[in-house]
Amino acid sequence: MHSSKLALSKRMLAVIAILLLAGLLQACAGAPAAEAPAAAETGGEAAGPVVNALGKELPADAAPLEQQVLVYPYAAGNTFTTIDIYEAVYQRADGLTDLLSDALVRVDKNFDLHPGAATEWSVDESGLAWTFKLDPNLMWNDGTPVTADDYVATLQYGADPEHAWDFTWYFNGVIKNWSQVVAGEMPLEDLGVRAEDANTLVVETETPAPYLPAMLIYSTPLQKKALGEYGPLYNSNPETSVSSGPYKLVEWSRDQRLVYEINPDYKGTNVPYIEKIISLGIGNDGYLPAYEANEIDFALGRYLSPADIQIILSDPELKAQYHPHPGDFRTYYFFFDDSKPPFDDLRVRQAFAYALDRQGLIDNVIKEQGIPAYSFLMPGFPASNSEAYKDIYPYNLDKARELLAEAGYPNGEGFPKLTLTLRNEPAMPEAVAQAYASTLKDELGIEVDVSNMEFKTYVDAMLADPTEIQFSLISYGMDFLDPSNMLGVFVSGGRHTWSNPEYDELVTKASSFVGDPAERIKMFQDAEKILVDDVGGVFVYHQTPGDLYKPYLVGEALTPDNNGVAAWHWPGFSGFSTLMQDVYISNEVTDYRPTPPQ
Amino acid sequence: MIRYILGRLLGIALVLLVVSIVIFLLMHAIPGGPFDEAKMPLPAAAKANILRKYGLDKPLYEQYARYMWAALHGDFGTPFQSPTESVTGLIARTWPVSFKLGMVTLAFALPLGMFAGVLAATRQNTWIDYTATFLSSLGLTIPNFVIAVWLMLLFAVHWKILPTGGWGHWYNYIMPAISLGLAPMALTARYTRTSLLEVKRADYVRTARAKGLSSNQVLWRHSMKNALIPLITILGPQIPNLITGTIFVESIFRIPGLGKFFVTSIFRRDYPMIMGTLLLVALVWSIVYLITDLLYMVVDPRVRLDKKSS
Repeated sequence: MHSSKLALSKRMLAVIAILLLAGLLQACAGAPAAEAPAAAETGGEAAGPVVNALGKELPADAAPLEQQVLVYPYAAGNTFTTIDIYEAVYQRADGLTDLLSDALVRVDKNFDLHPGAATEWSVDESGLAWTFKLDPNLMWNDGTPVTADDYVATLQYGADPEHAWDFTWYFNGVIKNWSQVVAGEMPLEDLGVRAEDANTLVVETETPAPYLPAMLIYSTPLQKKALGEYGPLYNSNPETSVSSGPYKLVEWSRDQRLVYEINPDYKGTNVPYIEKIISLGIGNDGYLPAYEANEIDFALGRYLSPADIQIILSDPELKAQYHPHPGDFRTYYFFFDDSKPPFDDLRVRQAFAYALDRQGLIDNVIKEQGIPAYSFLMPGFPASNSEAYKDIYPYNLDKARELLAEAGYPNGEGFPKLTLTLRNEPAMPEAVAQAYASTLKDELGIEVDVSNMEFKTYVDAMLADPTEIQFSLISYGMDFLDPSNMLGVFVSGGRHTWSNPEYDELVTKASSFVGDPAERIKMFQDAEKILVDDVGGVFVYHQTPGDLYKPYLVGEALTPDNNGVAAWHWPGFSGFSTLMQDVYISNEVTDYRPTPPQ
Repeated sequence: MIRYILGRLLGIALVLLVVSIVIFLLMHAIPGGPFDEAKMPLPAAAKANILRKYGLDKPLYEQYARYMWAALHGDFGTPFQSPTESVTGLIARTWPVSFKLGMVTLAFALPLGMFAGVLAATRQNTWIDYTATFLSSLGLTIPNFVIAVWLMLLFAVHWKILPTGGWGHWYNYIMPAISLGLAPMALTARYTRTSLLEVKRADYVRTARAKGLSSNQVLWRHSMKNALIPLITILGPQIPNLITGTIFVESIFRIPGLGKFFVTSIFRRDYPMIMGTLLLVALVWSIVYLITDLLYMVVDPRVRLDKKSS
């Protein structure tokens, strides 16, 4: 009697334990049981092609509609204020943004421009006035049409001194009267952007700007009506958010996640397969574990640590999911304050250029995360001519010593002690700086300390007048695909002291050159040769970040592009990219996550 | 007693005033501002617009006076990082999350730590003692971010029985609470053990034993109460750290707490949030120390806080 009671209670305990465990497991998988019959209804059964709410037919190997969910992380360590580029660029969520309206133009995987919200565009005789014809079908999901007024209001908001947009430099000297409006010297109405009629937008430029359409990838508009009614942060709340793009905002849980769903009222041409996007905040060290636990479909390479990369590359399964690509065509380079000795002497800069062993750095430090850079423009970027500059300053220590001696510093004697300053760089670029510093010390007898500074403190010191940064390793990644963008960085009056009138003239002339595109490219290449020759910078490597994504993310956009890169690369999944038209989730997904993420 | 507490509270108000001045001056002494020039220098007019938007174009004393005047009226400003809410709103949203996690951590770490300490002290120089000492050394020396990653790899990646992070379910507490709790637990265990061993040799314990009390009675009635005094000293400071949130554990486990704002506010030069978070920390520390001092009085009859009455 006594023992059977005991046995019973033991069994009950076991049952309770199992129930608890089952509850826990189910809760972890995040799968309400109700989801299962729905899956059977719409997905399987070979009942004919599956068509989504926008009338797009899913490919035969696609997972059912409710599995067309993309979980894409953003860095949880950061904070962001907006998902709209015209509200803020640097305080924008770094996950998926600019999905709530269509940019005027779109870029495909080969970086070719396509019509977006603008079905066509043209420039007048003077080369100064661009006319964009808007797609008359576009509608906001509150039932009002998208008009040229929305684009005008958005660009005016960008220039509004009271808004103080953090990206105003982008259109400085490009859009007519932009800088005067930003400075408050002219009213908003004088900005060179106007609506000729509801579907015709005219943008005037200061000088001919053949690159204007490429620049206007950043033109996902805000709605003029919502701007007036709820203010510029109307997209911070699903209640006031309004969309004319392929997605609409359904949830924004601060510091946790953003959720978008396909916008059934979308009338544009950037029609996606993915039904729902969960943008999840993840701490850097949580990236790889969350990916391996199948909680995220995508892991941005720039948040993976060197240790993570080593783990990935040594695991065949993960390695197959790792896709290197040019990213934002970022180039790391050393630069000098050449307004003062010792770097005002070209021979000293040349000596530093000869002392850089790029291949050694790639083999030992950079590995898969970069390729050698002989100039600023990465192979694959318009006007890139990397091979041609390869032999201008090859690795040659004898030559370096010779030049240094000629400049009056034999064996580094009398050379001031240097600080090689970095702008809050992660481990890998810091290792590159350390390696170069030790070469300078061991081979040229120059004492160099490496100092990795806090970001804003560095920027403040760099832009001080006169600059407080004498010698530094820094990077730049492009904003839009035109050589004028990257090469503009070295034009006098920018962030570097290096100044060359011939270079300035070539870049300025080429930028606004409206003739034969081949001739324009040639001018940029001539300019870049001056930059290399005159050692405006010592270019080290072009970053090739790799992203991890699951094998069930497939589509034409992920197959090799013209540069042979098969990756989910810039401009990614956004309102100015065509990638979303191609990417879908294949039925292989059930091997990884049997039920859709909630 | 009441008088003493009132006096201390007045002192806290003065401390907060001084702290606010110091933080205000320090944060404005850091180079940079709430603008970003990573790519290209901002045109002077654009930079001036940003400074004006945030009221940073005024002289410092005026900025401080405006801040304090508004703060005294309950308005601590708008975080640059989250312009749709107020500083107090942001803290009210995120702090309870960190607070709850800190409390859950303390609720298991303190009793378990004390239990381990008592066990080790009553069985001094046995394998139990050695094991407890060894484990608590580990707990103290392994940083919580290493523990966090281990836990995540084991429970989420390898066994797949817990999600790697998230918030809103009871099981979301498990890994972060363990990561946060091991160090205070180890500390409690070590101090409990040491102070118990110390009082074990005290005269009053010998007397109690001589009177024929059982070892359990000696332990809980006589030794433990005195052993608590050093423990209070050590544990007091652990509490504000735990309840105001920690950047790493919150970020890796995707917990929407206050922790990360201590760091992002400084990186972003989010002056209102820097003031808000640091004043909160100053306040919590002051209150915890006040409570610690009051606890001494409860535990140790020799302590009289109110000098005039003694």
